[in-house]
Amino acid sequence: MTRYVIRRLLQSIPLLFVVSLILFVLLNNIGDPLTMMGGRNPTRPEDRERLARQLGLDQPILMQYVYWLVGNDWTMIDVDGDGEPETPGRRKGVLRGDFGISILTRGKPALDIIWERIPNTLLLMIPAQIVILVLGLGVGIYSALRQYSWVDNAVTTLSFVGFSMPIFLIALLSIYLFSVLFQRWGLPYLPANGMFDPQVGKTAAQIAKHMILPIFAIAFIDVARYSRYVRSAMLEVMSQDYIRTAKAKGLRRVTIIMVHALRNASLPIITLVGLDLPFLLAGAVVTERIFAWPGMGRLFLDHLERSDGAVVMGIVILLAVAVILSQILTDIVYAVFDPRIRYD
Amino acid sequence: MLTKTKNVAFLFLVVLLLAALAACGGQTTTTEPAANTGGTTTDAPAQPAAPTTAPTAPTARKVATFIWTQEFDNLNPMYTNMWFSAITQQIWNASAWNFDVDNNPNPVLVTEIPSPENGGISPDGRTITIKLRDDIKWSDGTPITSADFIFSYEMLMNPANTVNSTYPYSLITEISAPDERTVVTTFEEPFIPWVANLWGFVLPKHILEPVFEAEGSLDTAPWNLAPTVSAGPYVFAEWESGSYARFVRNENYYGTPAKIDEIFFRFVPDDAAQVAALRTGTGDLGTFISQADIPTLEQAGIEVFAVVSGYDEGWYIYFGKEAHPALADKRVRQAIAMCFDRFSINRDLLLGLTQPAVTFWDNTPYANPNLAPWPYDPASANALLDQAGWIDSNGDGVRDKDGVELILKHGTTTRAIRQDTQAVAQQNLAGCGIRLEPVGFASNVFFQSYGGGGPMPTGQLDIGQWSASEAFPDPDSSRWLCSEIPTDQYPDGVNDQKICDEELDRLFRLQATQIDFEERQKTFWRIGEIMYDNVYWLGVWQDLDTWAISARMENVKISGASPFYSIAEWDIKQ
Repeated sequence: MTRYVIRRLLQSIPLLFVVSLILFVLLNNIGDPLTMMGGRNPTRPEDRERLARQLGLDQPILMQYVYWLVGNDWTMIDVDGDGEPETPGRRKGVLRGDFGISILTRGKPALDIIWERIPNTLLLMIPAQIVILVLGLGVGIYSALRQYSWVDNAVTTLSFVGFSMPIFLIALLSIYLFSVLFQRWGLPYLPANGMFDPQVGKTAAQIAKHMILPIFAIAFIDVARYSRYVRSAMLEVMSQDYIRTAKAKGLRRVTIIMVHALRNASLPIITLVGLDLPFLLAGAVVTERIFAWPGMGRLFLDHLERSDGAVVMGIVILLAVAVILSQILTDIVYAVFDPRIRYD
Repeated sequence: MLTKTKNVAFLFLVVLLLAALAACGGQTTTTEPAANTGGTTTDAPAQPAAPTTAPTAPTARKVATFIWTQEFDNLNPMYTNMWFSAITQQIWNASAWNFDVDNNPNPVLVTEIPSPENGGISPDGRTITIKLRDDIKWSDGTPITSADFIFSYEMLMNPANTVNSTYPYSLITEISAPDERTVVTTFEEPFIPWVANLWGFVLPKHILEPVFEAEGSLDTAPWNLAPTVSAGPYVFAEWESGSYARFVRNENYYGTPAKIDEIFFRFVPDDAAQVAALRTGTGDLGTFISQADIPTLEQAGIEVFAVVSGYDEGWYIYFGKEAHPALADKRVRQAIAMCFDRFSINRDLLLGLTQPAVTFWDNTPYANPNLAPWPYDPASANALLDQAGWIDSNGDGVRDKDGVELILKHGTTTRAIRQDTQAVAQQNLAGCGIRLEPVGFASNVFFQSYGGGGPMPTGQLDIGQWSASEAFPDPDSSRWLCSEIPTDQYPDGVNDQKICDEELDRLFRLQATQIDFEERQKTFWRIGEIMYDNVYWLGVWQDLDTWAISARMENVKISGASPFYSIAEWDIKQ
């Protein structure tokens, strides 16, 4: 297993290079960071020419990638525009941990900007994932064990409603109901946005209160998705011979379900969780935006809208690493749950 | 089973740990307001799991919360042109002058607005001299002098600083400070739009010069995100990334002290969430309110009003060699103007809160008062198209000429009101036998230059729609100069429409040299007339800035050019 993990990690290095090159080229083609630097007015031609030179955006795309990867402190750059490179470069490059300086948030390295938001995103996404898993498993198992009962039919209907509703609608409806209307009706209401009320302070109680609506919005759709997968997997497993054998042996129903059935039904669920793991880091773009939650999804959108390459590349590379690691982790968990799987 | 219980417990521990980490406030950018005595404005940086703004006095502090749909990029005026950051500067920084509710200049750091009469503007219009007030000082008590202005100029022009714009300072040929209270700037040519462009901010030399000397650049100065001194009625206190920024009253302010103790800017990026925040009382002020939300807000007791900001939404007709041949004919352009019901757009989509713009300079003295919007008159439009030889010869519902169908590509950003306008225009023009093909772009793609492959300057569109204002409240513009047509050799030219009208070009160059207001006004009236007759630009609506103010705020006055010019006088009802 150790050898397998090491081999997978080594294989991921060239993969990351390829991914980073593709993303870098794509990012350079979806927007021009200089366009938005004039604010509500177009950037003046003379400023555009100067900024392109100072920021290295006048270089060929592959040279820009090389600077991003290994830095430019080994060469001289022309910052005054006289055609003669005279100033040593300052960038160290991603390979030395320097993701560059954001062209928006001056004064803070891109990596610091990203690290600031990761705890906020995990704080929202981990509890949301726990809620999704607990409810998804519970509803899915219950539904499978009582197939075609009124509960199963009701859950199926609700699942389709959950599947069909866009998350922004759930988010906006929940704000309107639990925040605006509850306040109007004189009921205890939930905060509509933010991670805490700045006038009260960043206390654990405040954060918990502000987490309720975004978690509800995220979980609503995913509980529906997970419960369908669990139901389907459990139905398949429950009709297997070994379950019948277990029943014939007189094992307790709980043991049959939790030990024999759920364990065997868990492989597709592990796949699902494995695919979702990187999104714990990526955050929920729409939810974070609507609820003004200061997480990674919102950071990504804010900086993508203004083509801030340093921060956007930092986030996508981080996610690429997260995807690779989560896939390796999923493979390991497969082996734990299914003794037939061997990687050596 | 025990292992499973342990796993669950471990997960909860992780969550609790994260909650504790997030509550630590480690990412808050704070600064001790340098000279705020009296305990009201020196809240320490956030402590773990403790309120950041613990009440310090039994009397109720006046705290206002403004909702910003975009977070500041940074707070150094050299490094941002972002509207939300730029107007926040008026709260804590100071400019030589700002603009009152009628958009007239109002002295702030200077004793009077320069003019030919007081010697502030030389007879040739090249030299502008400002006289600073004697009592102005930074919030730490250090006097603001001409040295700060010279330092600001030097930092803007130093190539080690990747500033957003060097305009108009790059046009200065000589700058001097004869004494501590005087700054003299000389331009190579008369610089008429100075009032809207010069000395919009000043940097504290005593704070930033040591940083520049140590680092060789201000690009990464912590001051950019946490200014330690201010020159305005408030001082910066803290900025929690993604959440809020807080400003507190500057107790050392040289003007009348601000009435509100603290101002929070909460960053709520979603429009609907902004409306919810205003309705629930979380916010006291919001801006860029969608017209559709105005009735809801007014029902909730929130005052909504529109402010002239110089912006007018319009159609920009493309004249490059890739343009549709019909657009070269003035009659076709006039027919488009008369076939497009801009009145219904303003009445139905914009709830009658605005009206079709006639000129690019509506609501300013430079708008020609003799012009009225092109009427909605499909019959006259059809007659003009017939006259121009564009008829539907093949009966497909679209006019054609010499085998070319009258199909026009119309592009704009994905903003909802623009998409709705495209739909209405498509229906209107179809009634005149013109097929409009609407295309929507993300802003950072739509506004790209010729060099960046922008859809308008590269001729991918026949008509582009957006809102612009060049130098409000000054009318100057280089958008229609022949020399600004972008080419492969000059990819950054700003004449996206590729219009080259010699008379228009001459008049635009003339206005840029006219010191006399009335002469310049007449030039702009003539410019407006030419653009109107030729339909080079077709105004769709006057794009006023919409503000929403909660009922508990009072004495609020907002100007289009500098919205927070009177922020010190704003108050909260007790």
